[in-house]
Amino acid sequence: MLVLSRREGESIVIGNDIVITVVEVKGGQVRVGIKAPRDVQVHREEIFEQVRRQNMAAVASADEARAAVSRRPDTRRSDPR
Amino acid sequence: MSDRETPWDLTDQILHFPEGLPGFPHLVRFVVAELVEDGAFQELRSVEDPETAMIVCVPWLFFPDYAPVVADEDQQDLGLETAEDAVVFVPVTVDGEARQVTLNLLGPFVVNGRTRRGRQLVLADSDYPVRAPIELPSF
Repeated sequence: MLVLSRREGESIVIGNDIVITVVEVKGGQVRVGIKAPRDVQVHREEIFEQVRRQNMAAVASADEARAAVSRRPDTRRSDPR
Repeated sequence: MSDRETPWDLTDQILHFPEGLPGFPHLVRFVVAELVEDGAFQELRSVEDPETAMIVCVPWLFFPDYAPVVADEDQQDLGLETAEDAVVFVPVTVDGEARQVTLNLLGPFVVNGRTRRGRQLVLADSDYPVRAPIELPSF
C-alpha cells in the first residue's frame, strides 16, 4: 500500500479525476473530502463491507432461501392431481 | 421515495447494473424470475454467471414503514424522474445457526422500471440493518 503524509488542506490525486483532500485533523479523526466522477461510488469501507458480505451470504444461501419462501401457502399445491 | 405501488412488472426482464454489485463487481446483467404466485419473492440471477443468484423481495410486505432515501445523484444517474419510476427490492438471506430468514434493508436495489437500469444502494446514513429478521407464514 502506498502511504503518504498530508497536512490539512492538502490533497491526493488518483488517476485523472479523483481528488481526496484532508479537510480537518482533530482528536484522532480525519475528515476527508472526495471529488470523484459520478460513476465512481464512494462508501465508508465498513458499511460497504457489510453489504458486500451480505450479498455473498445471500448468494450462498439462495437455495435455502428459495426453499424457505416456497414453503409459503400455495393453493395450487394442495390440488389433487 | 417511499412509493410502493409501481406499474412495472420486471419478471423475465433483464436488468442492468452497470457498476455490478458489492462483492460481484463483474456481474452487470441480471434476469428476474418470479418465485411464488403472490409475487412477493423473486429471484435475481446473473446473466454472465447463471450459477450466481439470490432471492429478493419487496421490503414493504414485511416492513411497511421502510423508507430508503435515494440520493439525488442516484436518482439522476438512474434517470428516476418520479417515484413511480423506481422499483425497490432487497436481498433475502438465510443466516446464522438458527437459519433465520433476513432482509438486507441497508443495501436495497433500486431499478428504473422504464429503462431497467439499476443500482444497489448502500444507505450509509440510515440505521437500517443489514440483517432484518422476518417470519414467514408456515402451514
